Amino acid sequence: MSKTLYRGGFIALALSALLWTSGCVVMDTPEKVEQVQETNDPFEPMNRYFFDVNIFLDEFVLKPASAWYQAALPQPAQDGGRRFLANLRLPWTAINDFFQGNMPRAGEALARFAVNTTVGVAGIFDVATGWGLPQHDEDLGQTLAVMGIPDGPYLVLPIFGPSNPRDALGMAGDIYLDPVNVLATNKQENIHFPPYNHDRLTWVPTARGFGEAVDSRARNGQAIDDLKKQSMDFYATVRSIYRQRRDAEIHNRGEPESTYPQPRLTETPDGKHADVPAAAPTQAAVPAETPNASNASPN
Amino acid sequence: MMLSRVAAIAASLVLCAAGTAVAADNGSAALVVAPLQLAQARAASVQVPEASRFVSNLADEAIASLSKKELSVPERITQFRSLLDEGFDIPQIARFVLGRYWRTATPEERAEYTKLFEEFIIQTYAQRFGDYGGESLKIGDGSRNGDDDIIVASQILRPNGPPVKVDWKLRPEQSSFKIVDVVVEGVSMAVTQRDDFSATIQSHGGKIEGLIAVLRDKVKGGTETASK
Repeated sequence: MSKTLYRGGFIALALSALLWTSGCVVMDTPEKVEQVQETNDPFEPMNRYFFDVNIFLDEFVLKPASAWYQAALPQPAQDGGRRFLANLRLPWTAINDFFQGNMPRAGEALARFAVNTTVGVAGIFDVATGWGLPQHDEDLGQTLAVMGIPDGPYLVLPIFGPSNPRDALGMAGDIYLDPVNVLATNKQENIHFPPYNHDRLTWVPTARGFGEAVDSRARNGQAIDDLKKQSMDFYATVRSIYRQRRDAEIHNRGEPESTYPQPRLTETPDGKHADVPAAAPTQAAVPAETPNASNASPN
Repeated sequence: MMLSRVAAIAASLVLCAAGTAVAADNGSAALVVAPLQLAQARAASVQVPEASRFVSNLADEAIASLSKKELSVPERITQFRSLLDEGFDIPQIARFVLGRYWRTATPEERAEYTKLFEEFIIQTYAQRFGDYGGESLKIGDGSRNGDDDIIVASQILRPNGPPVKVDWKLRPEQSSFKIVDVVVEGVSMAVTQRDDFSATIQSHGGKIEGLIAVLRDKVKGGTETASK
């Protein structure tokens, strides 16, 4: 049995190595070298392939699912569903805040979870925002970034979409270490509260992920379709948006002000990779009055 | 899941006024530097709240004139064009969006590109206002960003879903302002557009003519559907 596993593992490794090497940009001209340096996307051919795969999946799986979701549930129910899912993210957010050294926010996330789960009935109603505890999200990828780990080359993962080595690792951690997932996928017994006991609910992480994807697509589908139509190179547009958005998330830019004072990040762990500093070399050639991308917090 | 990230930003494009007017910086390269600097410093402190008012007025104008359902497409485009020229500095934005390729472009290419860029922006965004569905813009505070730029924070309040944060980057222009960039949930529209154009140029072997040809097609295709 272990021999089969070894053989299978070896084949998988060989196939992925083949895919990675054939999916790389062949840097045979100085322009190509410059291009890869600028965009940090040495796996662009492979990424574009998976990008197309994801678009296909979106068209044939996610879009119909979200259309059904919008047709079957009235708006209040959809909003309740979104809030329920957002609530489930809070324990893991708190843990990540803790590892980022952001204790006030960790406490806030936990408090919000406690309030909305009880008073807000499993998170379906958002009571906590009115109590000064707004929603915010942290994940392992952001925590790794705060710890100073650079993001690495752009990767498009099948199904999961735009990412990079650090965030992909973070995503795996998110799925396997999230307390809600851990509790659900392990058999619970001998707890003093009998309704709490259950068998292994292995479908929970997948259900959560798919649910969030459907909800998100339902709310933003029109805008995404517009973006697709308007872009000349949709792949490059998504790559740009993903990186800028990720940068903003890591620095907690524009998040609602916490009631409690909190430390603010000042350095950019992978700053030389964010689009803003990348503008610097091009702007050396262009006079100073061109607009810079904003990277300042609105506060 | 792929789209959940894109989604958060893209949603605001519904109301995003695309015109990016860059108020050219007060170019009076003064003979007397010190009083000018003093005057500018004094002006700077006054400018920030005025910048917020500027955005607020522009947004009101946009919603008032563009969201009427009975507006025909050419009318909407004309209205949008005038708002764009009023509030945004297209040449400056076009130049930024072309990035390093501006340097190597010929004057003819630059002129044609700038013209096509404006048409592209108008076509892309003018129709969005027709989809206006009761969103409102809540303008927040302005703040200084560097020597010249002012950032005005705002939120698009939607009936379905959480508010969308939009920052407006402005530069003073004579007695008013012009918008240089719009940053939606941390994503700069100018930077995103630049990356899109840059990839397009690269896929045409680094030739700007390739981008111009694609823009020409898009603009022409848009005008055809618009006049139907």
